[in-house]
Amino acid sequence: MGLDLTALGRQVRQMSGATALSAATTNERTSRVVARYREATGAEQHWATAANISRETANWLLAHPVEPLDTARNRPEIPVSYALVASDGSQIDLDRHGSASCYLINIGRVFLRYGENPLARLSSEPVLYYREEDLYLSNGTRRVPIEGNYLSARRDVDEGVALVGLADEFLTDDVPCLALQDGTLIRWTLAGAERFVQDHFLGRYLAYLDAMHERGIPVASYISRPRSPEVVGTIRLMLCPDVDVAAGKGANCSECSDLADDREPSCSICQGLVDTDILAGQLSEGQRGPLFISMSRINVESYREHTIYFFHMRVGRELARIEIPQWVAQDPDQVDLIHALMYDQAGRGGGYPVALERAHEQAVVRSADRRTFQHMLEASLYRAEADASASAKKDSKSYIKG
Amino acid sequence: MERIGEVIESSTTRFTAGAYELLAAPPFGSLVRAQTRSAGIAVYGLVYEIRTGSKEPGGRAMMRGRTYSGRNLYDAEIYHEHPDLAEVLQTEFSAITVGYCERDRRYQYLPPHPPPVHYSVYPCDDAELGGFCESSDFFRSVLFAAQIPSDELLSAAIRATARARPDSRDYLVYAGRELASLLKDDYDRLTAILRRIRP
Repeated sequence: MGLDLTALGRQVRQMSGATALSAATTNERTSRVVARYREATGAEQHWATAANISRETANWLLAHPVEPLDTARNRPEIPVSYALVASDGSQIDLDRHGSASCYLINIGRVFLRYGENPLARLSSEPVLYYREEDLYLSNGTRRVPIEGNYLSARRDVDEGVALVGLADEFLTDDVPCLALQDGTLIRWTLAGAERFVQDHFLGRYLAYLDAMHERGIPVASYISRPRSPEVVGTIRLMLCPDVDVAAGKGANCSECSDLADDREPSCSICQGLVDTDILAGQLSEGQRGPLFISMSRINVESYREHTIYFFHMRVGRELARIEIPQWVAQDPDQVDLIHALMYDQAGRGGGYPVALERAHEQAVVRSADRRTFQHMLEASLYRAEADASASAKKDSKSYIKG
Repeated sequence: MERIGEVIESSTTRFTAGAYELLAAPPFGSLVRAQTRSAGIAVYGLVYEIRTGSKEPGGRAMMRGRTYSGRNLYDAEIYHEHPDLAEVLQTEFSAITVGYCERDRRYQYLPPHPPPVHYSVYPCDDAELGGFCESSDFFRSVLFAAQIPSDELLSAAIRATARARPDSRDYLVYAGRELASLLKDDYDRLTAILRRIRP
């Protein structure tokens, strides 16, 4: 017996009740926080400075406003013809209990052209990694296994490299074009990594962005239902009694004056709110909100001219977050193009960009494929007379013994 | 003539091919020829089923005629607006094996081997169709094949052959007589087929 559904059902019902109760108070809090946000319209420069000086000392994420906070720009005209490339990846992680040390990255590659000569090319490319230099990163003394987060980082790099390849192969026409990724362009997972690991992956990732910049092909990523609280972080600064921009004093959570006076911190009203809660009210269908710079450490410190900006766009009932590097964000025509194309893509895909949907379909490794891969691996190792036994633990899990 | 598809499933009595161009399967009842491993041998089949669906097992197409922004798209416009459809949908056709040819000789019985998977499928031109249908031995295989719309299939094949031949009327009369002898103990079925091939 695996999951006791009767026991689980009871807890699910309790959770639903609790969620419904908290929704009412959240609505009330949201409207107060949104009111504070709207009041700050016109003082973007002030709060941008506040975000800059609080970056090191605040405990929360921050967004640096670049455009008026009440921005709600209509969707620009969608070009008749355009082309885009997209990639997505999935992986089979290294199995410590499996028969061999290896992992697999499968990259889905998509090219779509709309307009006069519509065309689509979908493919996927699996690569098996098993060499010492594939499995470990080493700086001479330290040897770090590439698995978990680091494998995801490697996959992100591979997705980017695939985009460069696709761009060279397909984006040669004289129509507006775009390279699209799923999820964030900010490599959060590397933030806590050792320096040489971060340098390794980030160096390669930024090299991919360099390559796209050189080719003049704008890069964007699309995040469906984003949960990030960066704009909310900046609102926390607006509520913080300690912030004094004129005196060069930012928020310093370790010396919170509210806490020192035994009060609840003024910013705690923002607890649990995310950026989309703030911007949902000001954006109607197809409109985009203001541009912000993400103040996450890795973005500010390591991304150079690729510093990631983001904006939100309404697609149906959802606000999507779209991220773009600085060299795209600073060109208003490019921002308009991304805005229009992302909306068109989401429209064609019924709420989610069709290019990413296709890339995912190409990349996904289903459980049946996973099993076939394992069998293939074991059979091949057996024929090669290599040691191919799984661990005792894995064997013990394969079926229930009577 | 250029190949139109490739065998994706094959057995002694029937084979299924994927069409290279979406929605461009040969017509129901038409004769197709599948290549085999021996250069001189090709297998003939009559197309009895055509279907289009997702390449993904279990996948289904979704409605796309009304866009997200409320615009209406009709028929071919949908394919124009979604070029990726041609990559994720597939048109397949199945044929019942009715004979084969070895060099210049044609046989109206099952070949020693079915066409191999991934081998090419070609449409047959009028001359080839007319030639193959000189004999009517294959009528029996079609009439008594299970799980296919055999009456409809044979009528369609006879009509197509008549169109392909200069002596259309004579051929229909000949085919009608052959059917009458095959279905001498099933009058209802015979008349149903004769109505379908009446000139």
